[in-house]
Amino acid sequence: MKDTLTKSVDYGRSLGAEYVEVRAQHLFKTLLTTKDGRVEGAKEGIEGGAGVRVLANGAWGFVSLGKLDSKLLTEAAGEAVRLAKAASLRVKKPVKLADVKAVEDRVVATPRKSPQDVSMEEKIDNALAMDKTIFGYDSRIRSCTISYLDVTGTNYFVNSDGACIEQDKLYVWSRILASAREASIYASAREEIGSTSGYEVFDTETPEKVGTMVAKRVVEQLKAKTPKGGSFPAVIGPNVVGVFMHEAMGHLAEADLTLSGSVLYDKLGKQIASDVVTVYDDGTVEGAFGSFKYDDEGVRTQKTALIENGTLTGLMHNRETACKLNMDPTGNARAEDFRFEPIIRMRNTYLAAGDNTFEELIEDIDFGYYLKSFRGGQANLDGTFQVGIQEAYEIVKGQLGDTVRSASISGNTLETLRKVDGVGRDFELWSGRCGKGQIAFICDGGPHIRVGEVIIGGGA
Amino acid sequence: MVAEPKLAELIDFGKRAVKVAVGRGAEEAEAFLSIVSGTSIDIERGQIVRSIKRMDQGLGVRTVYGKAVGFSYINTLTIKNIEEAAARAFRAARASRPDKNWLKFPKPKRYGETRGTYDKRIVGVSSDELVETAAVMLGAVEAYDKRVLAVDGGVGASVFHTVVVNSHGVEAFDMGTAVGCSMETIARDGADVTPACFELNAERVYDLDPEAVGTEAARQAVSSLKAKKIESGVFPVIFTQAAFRSLIYYTLINAVKADYVQRERSALKDKIGEKVASDLVTVYDDGLLEGGLLTSKFDGEGVPCQKTLVIDKGVLKNFLYDNYTANKSGAESTGNASRTGVAPYASTPVLEASNFTFKRGNRTPEELVAEVEEGLLVYGVQGAHSSNAESGEFSVVATPVWKIEGGNVAYAVQGVMLTGVVFDVLRNVSALGSNVRKLGQLVAPWIRVENVRAVGRK
Repeated sequence: MKDTLTKSVDYGRSLGAEYVEVRAQHLFKTLLTTKDGRVEGAKEGIEGGAGVRVLANGAWGFVSLGKLDSKLLTEAAGEAVRLAKAASLRVKKPVKLADVKAVEDRVVATPRKSPQDVSMEEKIDNALAMDKTIFGYDSRIRSCTISYLDVTGTNYFVNSDGACIEQDKLYVWSRILASAREASIYASAREEIGSTSGYEVFDTETPEKVGTMVAKRVVEQLKAKTPKGGSFPAVIGPNVVGVFMHEAMGHLAEADLTLSGSVLYDKLGKQIASDVVTVYDDGTVEGAFGSFKYDDEGVRTQKTALIENGTLTGLMHNRETACKLNMDPTGNARAEDFRFEPIIRMRNTYLAAGDNTFEELIEDIDFGYYLKSFRGGQANLDGTFQVGIQEAYEIVKGQLGDTVRSASISGNTLETLRKVDGVGRDFELWSGRCGKGQIAFICDGGPHIRVGEVIIGGGA
Repeated sequence: MVAEPKLAELIDFGKRAVKVAVGRGAEEAEAFLSIVSGTSIDIERGQIVRSIKRMDQGLGVRTVYGKAVGFSYINTLTIKNIEEAAARAFRAARASRPDKNWLKFPKPKRYGETRGTYDKRIVGVSSDELVETAAVMLGAVEAYDKRVLAVDGGVGASVFHTVVVNSHGVEAFDMGTAVGCSMETIARDGADVTPACFELNAERVYDLDPEAVGTEAARQAVSSLKAKKIESGVFPVIFTQAAFRSLIYYTLINAVKADYVQRERSALKDKIGEKVASDLVTVYDDGLLEGGLLTSKFDGEGVPCQKTLVIDKGVLKNFLYDNYTANKSGAESTGNASRTGVAPYASTPVLEASNFTFKRGNRTPEELVAEVEEGLLVYGVQGAHSSNAESGEFSVVATPVWKIEGGNVAYAVQGVMLTGVVFDVLRNVSALGSNVRKLGQLVAPWIRVENVRAVGRK
């Protein structure tokens, strides 16, 4: 494989490219979906292919091929150079790359239980056990959809700087959706599980544990009231803190989006959050869904500080943005697979724990909301964010009160970060997937925090 | 752009997979093949930076054994791989569990005509020509106003071929082309930064207006400067296609899918024949729409695409079915099985709307605005995916959004939340525009809705 890729790289260089990289993959996937105890399909797939990316005359050319063939790969390098040169005719500021040390390495996955060694029958049994737990919890539960995916295989990376990396891929993922109905009240809840360790994730995230959590969450909403709209103090749980750190804060600190004019554009080195806020994007968390050793530009992953004690100290980079801002690459360049070029993506993004107890966070709130788990979130470059909440409670006179359904929070990221006035001592990471034209597997999380004021919407 | 694949060879690959699966003992088998190739040009931060070519092909096999379904796919089309994929799909079916509602794969049927879905000029387009198109769009942004930044955008062209073969005699082949350009902008004036604004133009034939896309994206951004905060209230709201599409994608469109209805996940269950929307609302799901972005001869299972009346003058008429849900309800498939994602061959069919078409009204966009004393003009909503699909409840941020006062677009508003239930929105539709356009699954004009609750930030 190394020889095939090297030949393609050398050919691209011989045509005058400043930089050439070839990524090849062999992947094996198992997928299954169950709907209300019915197995919709037990699925397996094998895919292989390569992506050739070149930088010529300051512009990028990229060719992806759903094949691994030495001759075609070499031709692809030629085509990529031609594409880059066509694009370069309009380039005003040529793209340049930050220097990195060229690595040669072989990264071997060492799962306790490789998903390849677990039978399709066992994977189906596991999903059906979760389904059974959920339906068994309450007769008002009407539907349950469980998706399962595992990916195993190998990535090969060779570039014209001399890097040569062979890195095993291993992902195990499941998503559980449940809905319940009572008279005209409809409720739904979801949960995701993800790991880069191995199938052993289900030894701790057992069907009974996860199923009960999802079922409880959906049933609770049936008796819930809708929230009052307006500004309120809130205590935000790790699951919602995570999505806030990812959507509202993280995307703005992806250097490509920062350079595109996100509200962090001119904020490096400045205080942007209250001083209890410290945020990391960390690719080194063992077994976490967003962890890996090398990114898709061959750069070693790291724990990157984004905010330290309220000051914006870092951004997430690829080699291109690092060069542009005269900073170091952070190992955030990721491609969904060989079909895509690497772009700046998050890994495991979280707010660092502080020292408050949960009781301390809620005790001073006369009326507010406890936002425990999210349904989805989105943010805009100007810092406007929205996070849908699936599980929430009123806080009344320092105590948890009634359950609230279909709430959502919104506001401006920077205004909200400045209003964080308490950070818990607990910590949780949650697995998820992020879409930015491509899918990336990520984690986000943090401790419980208290925010002086957020806008609560929702409720008809 | 790409050599035409040999049709006969693709059908032979499909037949081979079906034959091998049946030979192994499968009661039924189906093969789906897709070949997609495309060229695109990326714009980032004011310049063309990248040119991309992609080619992906593959085959997915579904097999049935004892009412259990197994699936397997590959992306390297050799006889050996195809035979192995068929064998693996059969093994997967044996490992799976029987489904008492499984009946059978579709039988062959006559396909309708499609128009405006394939254009040889797109097949032949060069990357240089697409670079030129991107440059025109970028030039229009730059010429509009110095304060505008072309954050992200691009031009793309693609060609796709699809084959479905099954053991009941379905042998279907279709091909199509698509082309599009898009532009995301922001404007910056001192400390004033606008939210991202967006415009696009997507077509099946080679007929793009990159200059109009660039100009409109820039116009929105400049017009979004000096945004004000507003007080909460209940307003008439005009939704553009982009905003309305986001709003209904996770709510109304799911609620009319038979899968959601059968599984009690739809608030429209048992509502066929009932009034669910204003008299002004008539909706078709039209898989054969001329030049429709989702138009094709047949769906992902080889069932003919068709025009299905969903809502007629406010009355719910039909749900959307794929083969499985139709069999379960004793209905006919409406041809709504979709193979989704970047690699269609790698997915089993999913029930999806095709061209979800709102019948046009008679108002120009200017008239829609002029009739509003105090209201909002919403160009996009964010967070729609957090809507409650079951109840239709939504709580989204409108952005970019403008305040309408005295029949005029008065000023940009800093993101307000809109909350409500999508079915109330449908009942409160008070006017539709005549400015129909295609945007993903949605084909619709601007739509005005009364009594929408907005939570302001003042």
